[in-house]
Amino acid sequence: MSDFDSELDASGLNCPLPILRAKKAIAALENAQTLKIIATDPGSVKDFEAFCKQTGNELLSSGEEEGKFVFFIKKAA
Amino acid sequence: MSTRLSGPERRQTILSQAQRLFAEKGFHGVSIDEISRAVSVSPAILYRHFDSKQELYDAVLQQLACQRESYVDTVVNSGTNFEDVLTGMTHVFISSVDENPNLLRIEMQSLLDGNPATSEFFKNRWKSFTDYIEFGLNQSMPYDVPNREITILSAGLMFQGMVREALLQKYLQPEDRLVDVSMSELSHELVRLFLRAIGIEKSRLSRKAVISS
Repeated sequence: MSDFDSELDASGLNCPLPILRAKKAIAALENAQTLKIIATDPGSVKDFEAFCKQTGNELLSSGEEEGKFVFFIKKAA
Repeated sequence: MSTRLSGPERRQTILSQAQRLFAEKGFHGVSIDEISRAVSVSPAILYRHFDSKQELYDAVLQQLACQRESYVDTVVNSGTNFEDVLTGMTHVFISSVDENPNLLRIEMQSLLDGNPATSEFFKNRWKSFTDYIEFGLNQSMPYDVPNREITILSAGLMFQGMVREALLQKYLQPEDRLVDVSMSELSHELVRLFLRAIGIEKSRLSRKAVISS
């Protein structure tokens, strides 16, 4: 995954900050645009799954890169 | 042995009894023999599930960590303003202790046990609040406020101290006058006082006033 429209680095932050900042960042996107999020809180994996389920935004991918968690979320159209 | 349990059922019973005993007496205050007696099995059977007391303790902690409170609902369903999110988080946090006061007991025990994994786990639970408060104040507080850094740090401490003390008085000293106080009302009021102390007046009236109006 490399295509994204906006990036959010939430490294070092604990829940709910990554989710809260993602919510704001997604609100600023156009429909169907993609946000890349980088986080270090291990709980963020579950949190972003729950977040997408509840908001209807699509979790395109969720993975680990060099000890950090990387998520790609596509804003619901 | 009284009843025959399947492997996973037996493991779960051991974990629940161990959680209760560790919460009551701390890591060093409980022996494998005592846990075995509480589950009505021989230590040999217990060792089939867990190699050591430390491994059992870690598993108890792991189980508590899996039930870790989620603030996703709070963020998705409330406004994104500082006071609404903090109110929602506090409610979720207090409810988690209300559902399982062992969380609070094990936290208190771990402060003295000096078990690094445990203290890390509980530090992280509070870190959600201190991070959130420090981050929020960092964004909103003018840069020329005197002693800005220490003020922000103190706000986090103040909040943690306030909530932790309320939980201690409610769940560890049940003869106390907080017994009949509703935790949701108390948490609402604590958050309101905290916000006022850091210069944020809650925009709407207190919940009581809203209900009666």
